Amino acid sequence: MSSSSCTGEYCNAGWSEVLTSMSPYGWGSMGLAFGLSLSVIGAAWGIFLTGSSLVGAAVKSPRIRSKNLISVIFCEATAIYGVIMAIVLNGLMKKPEGGIENGSFTDEWNWSSFYFAGYGVFSSGLSVGLTNVASGVAVGIAGSSCALADAQDSSLFVKILIVEIFASALGIFGIIVGIIQSNSCQFPYDVAN
Amino acid sequence: MVDAQYEMMCPAIAPIFGYFGVIFATVLSNMGAAYGTAKAGVGIMKAGVLCPELIWKNLIPIIMAGVNGIYGLITAIIILNNIASPNVDGFRVYSLYTGFGHLAAGLSCGLCGLASGMCIGISGDSGIRAFTQVDYMSKNAPRKGLRGQTASKKKGGGAESVFVGSVLIQVFGGNLALYGMITAIILTQTYYQCEDN
Repeated sequence: MSSSSCTGEYCNAGWSEVLTSMSPYGWGSMGLAFGLSLSVIGAAWGIFLTGSSLVGAAVKSPRIRSKNLISVIFCEATAIYGVIMAIVLNGLMKKPEGGIENGSFTDEWNWSSFYFAGYGVFSSGLSVGLTNVASGVAVGIAGSSCALADAQDSSLFVKILIVEIFASALGIFGIIVGIIQSNSCQFPYDVAN
Repeated sequence: MVDAQYEMMCPAIAPIFGYFGVIFATVLSNMGAAYGTAKAGVGIMKAGVLCPELIWKNLIPIIMAGVNGIYGLITAIIILNNIASPNVDGFRVYSLYTGFGHLAAGLSCGLCGLASGMCIGISGDSGIRAFTQVDYMSKNAPRKGLRGQTASKKKGGGAESVFVGSVLIQVFGGNLALYGMITAIILTQTYYQCEDN
């Protein structure tokens, strides 16, 4: 794992070199992208699950149409969590103002904080995104069963909505972890003089 | 600390393992919770159409599956508190030893939570349908059941014992996530910090 234990073009010295050769700005941006896109995938999955059951059941019971749109709103909330996380992470990734000379970082650049922040933002985005996939699918299935139950007996709507509330709480867990994670990530943007 | 030893004990890539532990803890246990919630939710719908007043009792699998998600959240927060950021002058204190320990903690909590959530969902779904069916048979069709079964001669048609049995199965299933979280908490006690001389 030391820096130069092999020579030649095609060898690398181990995981250390592999994982540090991608720029921390790259790690951070990928985390941001995964956070947003996976949350939207989860929300979309949930919306098509609940929406198809909703319109199918509304053929025979048109009264359920407007009340059950709340299930679609619950799914949309997981996409909103992804947008919030993307905005927070975007604010963390700072453009360097100093510490760059002739197109490369100077010697006093804080590499440790740089890598630390990059990994932190990546993992923050991935936590939020993947949790929202799970949460979105669960809300979608619960919303679909809510619509079908409402079509049969309208007193069941509020009771089965409780299941959906528990399912959307999982998305909140993900964004809590993501925000705590991103708090300790500080991209260096200048050298201390 | 000698420089080569410092590079070996606290390299720059150490936080990635700790952070992946956080990811696994959160994501996998919430996936298990989501599976349990969805599967049991469909069962509640099917049973609720038959007996709406039993839904409150049938919410137990949903709560137990949600608790798995909370275990993942707790483990993730414990791990996050222990991931130390570098000093102001750029000295790294987070060691690879601690990083691997945190990765193991996250994996153990997450995979156990996934398994437990799936178990609670599948068994909760069947338990809900069975409990509601037995209750329906004892109240509405005292002699013949939905598929020709006869209701039990016990008081209440044996619905209480079916309910107790189904809750016991879910409690045993929820224990699995607890084992994972206990192991994860013990693993997060491993801590080694590189000293700055």
